[in-house]
Amino acid sequence: MLCRVADDLYWMSRYIERAIGVSRLIDVTRHLELDAGDVDFWTPLVPEGIEVTGEIRFWLTSDETNPSSLVTCVRNARALARGVRESISSEMWEELNQLHVSLTRPTSTRQVRGDTGGFHRLVRERLQHFQGLADATLAHDEQWHFIELGMYLERAHGVAMLLRRQGHLLTKVEGGDTDLVKWLAVLRSAGCAEAYARFYALRIEPARIVEFLLLNATFPQSVRFSLTRATESLSAISALREAAGNDPGPAPRTLGRVRALVEHSAVDEIFESGFEEFLSTVQSAIAAVSDEVTNTYLRDQPQAGRLVGVARAAVLMAAQQQQQ
Amino acid sequence: MPAPTTPQLTAYELGGFWDEMFGADGHVREHYAPLAGRLATLSPQDVMRRQLAAELSFQARGITFAVNQDPNGIEKIIPFDLIPRLITPEEWHRIERGLEQRVRALNLFLHDVYHDQKILRSGLIPPELILGARGYRREFRGVEVPRGVYTHVVGSDLVRDESGQFFVLEDNLRTPSGVSYVVENRRVLKRVWPQIFADYDIRPVEGYPQDLLDVLRAVGQPVASEPTVVLLSPGVYNSAFFEHAFLAKAMGIEMVEGSDLFVDDATVFMRTTSGRRRVDVIYRRIDDDFLDPLAFRPDSLLGVPGLLATYRMGRVSLANAIGTGVADDKAIYAYVPTIIKYYLGEDEILPNVKTYVANDPVERAYILEHIGELVVKSVNESGGYGMLIGPHAPKADHDEYRRRIEADPRGYIAQPTLGLSRHPSWNEDHLEGRHVDLRPFILFSGDEVKVTPGGLTRVALRKGSLVVNSSQGGGAKDTWVLA
Repeated sequence: MLCRVADDLYWMSRYIERAIGVSRLIDVTRHLELDAGDVDFWTPLVPEGIEVTGEIRFWLTSDETNPSSLVTCVRNARALARGVRESISSEMWEELNQLHVSLTRPTSTRQVRGDTGGFHRLVRERLQHFQGLADATLAHDEQWHFIELGMYLERAHGVAMLLRRQGHLLTKVEGGDTDLVKWLAVLRSAGCAEAYARFYALRIEPARIVEFLLLNATFPQSVRFSLTRATESLSAISALREAAGNDPGPAPRTLGRVRALVEHSAVDEIFESGFEEFLSTVQSAIAAVSDEVTNTYLRDQPQAGRLVGVARAAVLMAAQQQQQ
Repeated sequence: MPAPTTPQLTAYELGGFWDEMFGADGHVREHYAPLAGRLATLSPQDVMRRQLAAELSFQARGITFAVNQDPNGIEKIIPFDLIPRLITPEEWHRIERGLEQRVRALNLFLHDVYHDQKILRSGLIPPELILGARGYRREFRGVEVPRGVYTHVVGSDLVRDESGQFFVLEDNLRTPSGVSYVVENRRVLKRVWPQIFADYDIRPVEGYPQDLLDVLRAVGQPVASEPTVVLLSPGVYNSAFFEHAFLAKAMGIEMVEGSDLFVDDATVFMRTTSGRRRVDVIYRRIDDDFLDPLAFRPDSLLGVPGLLATYRMGRVSLANAIGTGVADDKAIYAYVPTIIKYYLGEDEILPNVKTYVANDPVERAYILEHIGELVVKSVNESGGYGMLIGPHAPKADHDEYRRRIEADPRGYIAQPTLGLSRHPSWNEDHLEGRHVDLRPFILFSGDEVKVTPGGLTRVALRKGSLVVNSSQGGGAKDTWVLA
């Protein structure tokens, strides 16, 4: 498949997954605030070095200057999907396009402001529907593998990020009811409170939560599960490149190493050797895989057209083709 | 059949124009009778509800074009008028034969002007008109094109005058667009108003993408036995981007942009995730000027360096071929009946609109004197730009165009202002006559000429307007060729 199309599908998929994560985080934090409102739960969600004027909830939901806000992610995903709409199914395109249309309607701003969860849940459900459509309406060939790869790398990265940003909820044990509320919030942020309960049938405690989110082999929101699926898709992609007589590049090895690390770690060891360091190692390895995939598979050669300022090029290009 | 007495149609005025639905005496034409009967039973609310459903359907499917060339700008849908336009089998038969004749003659003309140039010596067309055309590519003289086909895809604009006679207003022989709307308009109308289809036997339009693929594969045969075909698009900011994606998807081929292709070892490749892959046929939706920065405009960001050298060597096929613009130049257009007679020995089946070529001193004098009655067109513009509608324009514009014509006589032609036929179109809560044209799409593989049974009926939705282009407030109708 075309490098440009693979690139756009990969990033479309990452933005969709990122938007799902953001919407869940906002929902959960809203609820946490209602239960234990004396603490500021929002500030730790903003990356260091960023000043947010106004409410953080809106910054996370709809601020256009925030590259990871829910609305920005949906808009980016939709713009990428539009450019490759011939490569995805009509069902996928229409689902994403309609969601985008409904988000850009003036009434949706009011929904965001007045709402405590219904809005984010609705958006999340439609995004998950989109992911389901990708699975059900595309052949599971190379382009589907790029969509899978983007989704699972983003998810693994997002869960590691979540554990870093919500680490304080797990580590500051105060005793009493609010601890449990906070721990449940971490599980819900990763969409796995129910699965955790089924799996352990035990009291909720921080070490088990970390174990579940990082190391569980069967739950689809865990880092280990995500890295396994990402590995399967990248193997399928690199096999095609090798079959064509070309170098598969370093990405499969880098991904294999981080997957092995997660697969062969125990939660006690992780806490002993440093929780932060472990998460940071996983995150940088995923970032490295993404860069290496980009260099090998998504940029066959430097593309002159992409180096020109995109907006300027866009205007020039539109002007250069008059319609008959 | 008497005109139905219904609120939507009681105030309907024919206005002295040919009306597609009504005869001059106000009677419904026979083939429109079932449709008129349905319209008589409809309430305005019902029509408006369906109209809204159609608009939402276009919006949801993203059948839009970008406005104002702004990357962040809004995407608009083309206004869609629910009332379909009907064409009888007899009318269509004549249109089909006329277009086939035209396309065959124009391809012979193109082959001649790029090879022996017999017509230049015949004295029938002033040679400077041909060789001086902006679309004439002298670099391509002597280059063989597969099967002698220059125009694989043609979209010709037809209009009817007050007498109901069809005329060809212009031919689009470079990168005509609009065919995706032919298919989508039908699909949307079926969805929002399936009942009206019950009364008619209508020829399907869905086969177009497959027919196009057959043509593209046929012209790839000399290059490869199983040719790889791609569609080359200027990208997502182009106003016809939806159509490019639509066609690529329907044909199951890759849609590429200039930066996805490169030339190496006299071969065109696309960049794929598993390495380079050879390309044999390019259905390009980019003008000649921007195809190859090494050959034409060096500032082109859309093209592929080295593409034209590869094409010249016969190692890749292009559809349409290079240099077809000489044959849809608006001054050459005036000579198409001559061209048909010269190459085929036949009289034209579909007549031209009377055209005055400003390059000719006598005709120029006529134009300058009668500019207030004429439509003046720049020979190099399309899409409704660079045009003066004399009777509707203020005097200052007349003077401006007189100056332009005197400064560049080769650059202008003029035609009488046509009273284009009208069709009942929905306007708020009732029907009013609006001017329409018809753009059928013609495919030519070298053997067969295939005219898709349907076409894009463009309608000037603004009251009294004669301009049907979507960039100028025009809309579209589904077009039914009756079986």
